[in-house]
Amino acid sequence: MMANDAAFKVTVSEQGGAPVLEARGEIDVASAPEFHASLADVIGQDPDIVIVDMSGVTFIDSTGLGVLVAAEKEMREGGHDLRLVVTQPQILRLLELTGLDKVFTVLSTTSEAVPT
Amino acid sequence: MTSAMSAPEMVGADNANRVELSLAADAQMLFLARLTAAAVASRAEFDYEQVEDLRLAIDELCIGLMNSAPGSARITLQFQWDDSELAVIGTLRAAGTPSSNGRQPAAASEAAVELSERILDALVDDHGGETVDGVQRAWLRMRRQGHLA
Repeated sequence: MMANDAAFKVTVSEQGGAPVLEARGEIDVASAPEFHASLADVIGQDPDIVIVDMSGVTFIDSTGLGVLVAAEKEMREGGHDLRLVVTQPQILRLLELTGLDKVFTVLSTTSEAVPT
Repeated sequence: MTSAMSAPEMVGADNANRVELSLAADAQMLFLARLTAAAVASRAEFDYEQVEDLRLAIDELCIGLMNSAPGSARITLQFQWDDSELAVIGTLRAAGTPSSNGRQPAAASEAAVELSERILDALVDDHGGETVDGVQRAWLRMRRQGHLA
């Protein structure tokens, strides 16, 4: 069977004391539930900052963005911060088109997103 | 943007510039709709940005149809293009037998539906939907970059 580069994968690590959720592949209506569950697990540990590294995300639709919007709202209401690392031009453009670039803290590297 | 314009007419189109895809209204199958949309837009010689836009727009169009699927259903996508634009009509029909795995999206929240509308408004020149005789249709049109209406 051929490898599917678009397959969604998520891993969680830690950098500078903040959890980093690294997502790869396509976040669509099929993979959004897994993305949501992983993000909920991380947020459930009540960290001050959550970093979502989307450098390896090649596609995201409204269901994936909806997961991020809900997570950002939950973090903000708890006095915490959700930070996105986005490098793919098409994802940056989508955030701009939807006005979500003004809702999220969007950075270009995880080291920028790590608390100082 | 959403408008009062009617759905694109598919009759009389150049046969070489038409593609149809039929797939289960199943979350796991949506990637096929995206792949086909990108291939069609490339074949129609739309630029890279518009190919990416159409890939996402088709995904959103299918999500909208799937959200209204009562159970097992199929989506048919008809792509058609000419020198000025590319049009797509999506049709949702109830299927007689369950799809292979029956995985459908959970009912969309109001916020998700609004986000999907916002994305379609931003990506395509015209989109809409209607239900005729119990059959749900959704369509979109994308004009070629630099081509005036």
